[in-house]
Amino acid sequence: MRVLWMKKEDLREFLESSKQFGELWGPVQKGEVYVYDKIDDFSRLILEPKRTLLPVKKLIHPPEFNILRYEGETYKTELENIPRRVVYGVPPCDIHGLLILDDLFRRYYPDPYYITRRERTAILGVSFCTPTEGCLCKSMGTDVVQEGFDLFFSDLKDFYLVWVGSSLGDDMVKVRPDLFNNNITRKHLDKFMECKKERDEKFTKSIDMTVIPDIMELSYDSPVWEEIGERCLECGACTMVCPTCNCYNVVDEPSISGFTGERRRYWDCCIFTEYSLVAGGDNFRATRADRLKLWYTHKLKSFGYSGKPACVGCGRCIDTCPVDINVLSVVRGLLGGKEKEGKS
Amino acid sequence: MNKSNEENPFVPEPARIVRKYDLSDDVRFFQIRFVDMEKALSMRYLPGQFMMLSIAGAGEAPFSISSTPSRPGLLEFCVREVGEVTRALFRLKENSIVGIRGPYGNGFPLDKIKGNNLIIVVGGLGAAPLRSLLLYALDNRDNFGNVYLLHGARTPSDMLFKEEFLELKERDDLQCLLSVDKDPTGDWPCYVAKVTKLFKYVKNVNVAKTYAAVCGPPVMYKFVIEKLVKLGIPKHQILMTLERRMKCGIGKCGHCVVGHTYTCIDGPVFTYWDVTNMRELI
Amino acid sequence: MGKKKIGIYSFSGCSGEQLVILECGAELFNLCDLTEIKSFPMAQSNNEYTLLDIGLLEGSITTERQKRELKEIRSHAKILVAMGICACFGGIQSMKLGEGGWKKRFQKVYGDEDKLFKTMKPLESKPCNAFVKIDYYIPGCPIDKKQFLHSITHVLNGSSPYLYQFSVCTECKWKENDCLLLRGLPCLGPLTRGGCGAACLCYNIPCVGCWGPAEVLNVPSEYRLLIEKGYTTEEIQRKFRKFGGAPMVECLKKIMKQSNYSATKAPRLKGGI
Repeated sequence: MRVLWMKKEDLREFLESSKQFGELWGPVQKGEVYVYDKIDDFSRLILEPKRTLLPVKKLIHPPEFNILRYEGETYKTELENIPRRVVYGVPPCDIHGLLILDDLFRRYYPDPYYITRRERTAILGVSFCTPTEGCLCKSMGTDVVQEGFDLFFSDLKDFYLVWVGSSLGDDMVKVRPDLFNNNITRKHLDKFMECKKERDEKFTKSIDMTVIPDIMELSYDSPVWEEIGERCLECGACTMVCPTCNCYNVVDEPSISGFTGERRRYWDCCIFTEYSLVAGGDNFRATRADRLKLWYTHKLKSFGYSGKPACVGCGRCIDTCPVDINVLSVVRGLLGGKEKEGKS
Repeated sequence: MNKSNEENPFVPEPARIVRKYDLSDDVRFFQIRFVDMEKALSMRYLPGQFMMLSIAGAGEAPFSISSTPSRPGLLEFCVREVGEVTRALFRLKENSIVGIRGPYGNGFPLDKIKGNNLIIVVGGLGAAPLRSLLLYALDNRDNFGNVYLLHGARTPSDMLFKEEFLELKERDDLQCLLSVDKDPTGDWPCYVAKVTKLFKYVKNVNVAKTYAAVCGPPVMYKFVIEKLVKLGIPKHQILMTLERRMKCGIGKCGHCVVGHTYTCIDGPVFTYWDVTNMRELI
Repeated sequence: MGKKKIGIYSFSGCSGEQLVILECGAELFNLCDLTEIKSFPMAQSNNEYTLLDIGLLEGSITTERQKRELKEIRSHAKILVAMGICACFGGIQSMKLGEGGWKKRFQKVYGDEDKLFKTMKPLESKPCNAFVKIDYYIPGCPIDKKQFLHSITHVLNGSSPYLYQFSVCTECKWKENDCLLLRGLPCLGPLTRGGCGAACLCYNIPCVGCWGPAEVLNVPSEYRLLIEKGYTTEEIQRKFRKFGGAPMVECLKKIMKQSNYSATKAPRLKGGI
């Protein structure tokens, strides 16, 4: 991979220049949380990486959109007006989330909605200097990322290392070659190691993923599922904010004449009662405990076509659940910690 | 540049309801053909696969294919009126257009079954996918050893494809065992017994060279599988096709997932070993 | 095929549902083209009780006369749809439902009913399904225009409406709002039917539950959570019951009976809700 370095103060100028590749998006503050938003006013953009409320998946696999438009029984693909975007500020865990969704949406029957948005979205990653409360990327092996981005900025305090991940990323660099320097020296390497070491020491929480998949298998009949099932509000928030939750529902929205209409896709959640209900009333996961177990199986044991754990350690479920059900508390419960009280 | 419909697996293709009639009180048979004749004749599928059937305004749902690929051109489905899509489908007249896409799913492993005996055990709406396998086996009779059909229904009027199967009783290359739990009118010409009682007529089979295919209501599996295991048929040669909620049919929407197994991609045909191994399958 | 006959009838409430329908713009004209509107008190004179394909109801039932009218509408209508929190769950005027003591409260406010209400015969406020069978529900306070059009389109076409079954939280996350429960505010999002687009939450106002209880909800868990956050039993009960109607009364009774009562499923409303 081509690696360059860039002065910290040049980032803004570079991002301005990248606007010719699409709308610039990045993290901004909204009340007490951060969200990805379109950047028209540069002062709103937060340059250091933030844990946004929704991961970058919201731009590639949006919460709700129309997939088809129909007239009688003739269907037409709805893929117009998907803008080109340049998204700055995507942390490694979110990029790993995209890689997991990539496999799901690209393999077997490629999903044109996901692929089109993915292709039209340039991902400019940024590494965390300081892990925040609940960051588990080191445990999940998602603190570094080798693919899935167009450019990646390693924030090394005095400068950025810029990793060029795609041909598009290379084109973006070439618009302002004056801002980049490809002379990587010992000094840069030392700084890289120093920052990495400093950051690694700041992780406060960890999950031992060498054992957790097996623990999950062994905990199929654990009372923990009943306990969290009793507490879970079934609000679905954990799945909405999770970078690797892909589930969706599909409904038809006919116009009032009934002849034309739209087929709409919107995020669904495997923890909802209705999720596994088949026509006729059978529900294969009738209890909340069963459904939570499925979700945690996906995050901590096996998910998708590759069958690997899908948790990328972003910490969003920890931030989000009002009743403290998240990867950390569930792991604690499975390992015999006091889960009933539910407070750490 | 926009992706056209051709590159989009979610776009249903128009197909015409050629013929329909009732198989029982709430199950209706549909013959459907792609409007595009070339497509109709060229579509390849396997018994056990399913298609997504779409009615604009009502939505989409998965349906097992009941016809056999050995008789190309028409796709057949038997449908119970239970949800929004099926309700809309039941209102449609012959010649109406619906949308279909597929075929999806793994289907029955014909390559493995070929050269072996085949025991097909049907309960209720399980006839939908298994009729496809049965007709396929009959159309390619030389490729299979002994073929058995064990079909149970509550009453004669609940038995799907009753006339068709009664006719099959005349064939001497098929053991066609039909039973009903109850015979209110008293004129049922076959067995009055639970489907599990029919296994006593399955005799002297080389179990190592036998595959069984089972489909029926969830309550049926336990007892039928007990019989098959007792007969000595290896777990990985007992095949069952399962039903799940599906919104896409192609491994994207997540609804049909069991563990990390997608019923729509890795199934809907599973072996008894799979089912034992993944506890939530049935 | 003749035009389908529809009628909108209003009982006790703010008539907000009719207002939403009036605001449907071009779609309202399409609806008028496709149907014959036999009653729409806010929009036309000459409203009648007559044979209907679809009856649309708003408001709760608070007098003997309304009860009679409701039963008459039911007898004329093939399909009845309850619109809005008052018709679906009883609304705020039914918040004391199930508590008893209505007569006493009534007298305290209005005095002796026999002297004042000779013709009206007041009743304790109840949702429409307390008296007649309701086929479909469109929740809301007021209803959402999109959900109304979705529902009326499906019903006109002979199919069932499909409205969100999940709670307010799902849409609240789509809108990327900070969770107010986590900030210690008494938000009823997890207990309340979605479909409003998390309208209040987008303005940092905790959900008061005005769309009524969600299809599936875990009242005991939210109850415990609010106790943990320092709210009193009385405060929580008052909040839960404000728009919760009979289903919430049932849940609360069970919680009171056994303190660790496990997850509750709200009594299911049949139909499209």
